[in-house]
Amino acid sequence: MSSVTANLPVLVVIAPLFVAFILTTFARRIRLVEGLVIFIGILGFVGAGFLAANVFIKKTPMIYQVGGWPAPWGIELKAGNVSAFFLLVAAFVSVPVSLFSVNNLSDEVGGKERVTRFYVLYLLLCGAMAGMAVTNDLFNVFVLVEVATLSCCGLVSSRNRPRAAEAAFSYLIMATLGSTLILGGIGFIYIITGHLNMGFAHEGINKIWQSNPHVVWMAFSFILVGFGVKSALFPLHVWLPDAHSAAPSPASAILSGVAVKGYLICLLKILYNVFGCTLMREFVIHRILVLAGTVAIIAGSILALMQIELKRRLAFSTVAQVGYIIMGIGLMNTKGLSGTLFYLASHAVIKSVLFLSAGAMIAASGKKNINELAGIGRKMPITMAAFTIGSLGLTGIPLFSGFIGKWNLIVGSLELGNVIPAVVIVVGSVLCAAYLFPVIRVAYFEPVPEEDWKDPRLTQKIALISLALAVLILGIIPGPFLELAERAAVELLALK
Amino acid sequence: MKDFILKRISAVILPFICIYGFYVILHGHISPGGSFAGGIIVGLSLIAFATVYGMKKARAELPEKALVSIESYGTLWYVIMGLVGIFKGVPFLANKLAGVNVGEQGTLFSGGLILLISAGVGIRVASTIVTLFFALVEDES
Repeated sequence: MSSVTANLPVLVVIAPLFVAFILTTFARRIRLVEGLVIFIGILGFVGAGFLAANVFIKKTPMIYQVGGWPAPWGIELKAGNVSAFFLLVAAFVSVPVSLFSVNNLSDEVGGKERVTRFYVLYLLLCGAMAGMAVTNDLFNVFVLVEVATLSCCGLVSSRNRPRAAEAAFSYLIMATLGSTLILGGIGFIYIITGHLNMGFAHEGINKIWQSNPHVVWMAFSFILVGFGVKSALFPLHVWLPDAHSAAPSPASAILSGVAVKGYLICLLKILYNVFGCTLMREFVIHRILVLAGTVAIIAGSILALMQIELKRRLAFSTVAQVGYIIMGIGLMNTKGLSGTLFYLASHAVIKSVLFLSAGAMIAASGKKNINELAGIGRKMPITMAAFTIGSLGLTGIPLFSGFIGKWNLIVGSLELGNVIPAVVIVVGSVLCAAYLFPVIRVAYFEPVPEEDWKDPRLTQKIALISLALAVLILGIIPGPFLELAERAAVELLALK
Repeated sequence: MKDFILKRISAVILPFICIYGFYVILHGHISPGGSFAGGIIVGLSLIAFATVYGMKKARAELPEKALVSIESYGTLWYVIMGLVGIFKGVPFLANKLAGVNVGEQGTLFSGGLILLISAGVGIRVASTIVTLFFALVEDES
């Protein structure tokens, strides 16, 4: 058992990859494929839970040397508090999402072969996300970013519609640009430090940044813009609404809920573990992040308000929520960072439940626009209840998970003596209510339609209920989870 | 009969190109080259076969299903070889620590797991190249 625990950091990454490559063998037996995907999802969640418990109890990061080669030469995996936190979130969300897609994809995706391909890409994405959480090597980050990006493109284009192919193509172009910038940034760090391991690169860059300030600037800006494109930071978000609204609903949930967060975690790790707090303050990166975050919150929310299609509105809402997380990364204090991590987790759960319930409503009614969904709350009570819980959580009503994250972000920005982010967070919450509550109003308080719209099947109901319960549990008893986030924040700020 | 010379010549040299590709794959760890370069050579020999003898014959020899399973199992093979380390009680992908050394120049079987890993990656690269070529050609027609 102890050997399994010691190997957990690498096992959580390779287990999904391992199953992904077996799946094509069983393409004809789709039940078996779905069973395997759910099984590996639950196994991954249990593994992530063990890993998080291990890190939480022992209070030291788990370090793993791939191939037995020590750090400056070999690839090092490091499961600290940040990694354990994100791993837990990604592993949890992927289980209900795969449960939701059971027996549900053939309408949107196509025949058995195409559905199997969907699951292969899905598992590759899960593996890449786990890898992003645990890796401590800069080039490894790039490789995993590429794996995740290409799987995302495949997932977007998996829907059998011309619109999906177009969205996937524009996503591919933008994302390749982002990858190139990330690789460039990593290259600059490697040129001046000679290391790809994050810890060694951090030491190297702290010694020589004064003699090479321009290179550090270039590395900073390349990495910021590269990950900005990947995670849809405001002016670079243009690909996201098309891609996330054109994908099949489970894919939209995993893309908006987890994939975007993976890139943000990579950005967080590179900024704090490679550049470190001193350099971020010296180059005023934290101000840039806060500014970009505030602009993204307001602009994303206003753009979301202007949408009439439900899934596009949710996709633009992701642009706004990425703003909160980027802003929190720039706050650079314990409250702000723990708030941003908690908000990242709560948004991962909330956006998944919103996209899944929206997908169920659209599949049942065949209507895409919000005002056409009048009275759907009476016909599909469980789906709409899950949507309502998600909306309340995203708005940040107390007792729902979004509140804790937003509260910590506000406290963090006030600790800095900076009122503007706090005000923007409140304004963003009001705008969030403005674009999500009309959906609830239309669904519950409009006359009930004649059509025979029904709640989805049992497995899908279980998926929606478990995600909605997670929103409530994170909001009512955030204790251990918030503590893990706080420890992660302390860990990030400890590196000077 | 206008492409008689082309077909005869390629029938003679393509097997050698293919064998050279496998040579590069298998000697990747002890001489210049490697599984990717060797896989490309093998793949290109198959592409040359397809261009000379026509897509229909090439499809009959290399069905899509076989290519897809080679791609999947080539990668799976890599993971399995990595897991050997874990079963031996050392880290993932560990080679020397699992009881074999890193290889000597000129001796093929001196690299331990590296040879087996390269073989998997090599055929995977070859089948990927061929799949890409088929996808592009069949898309146009």
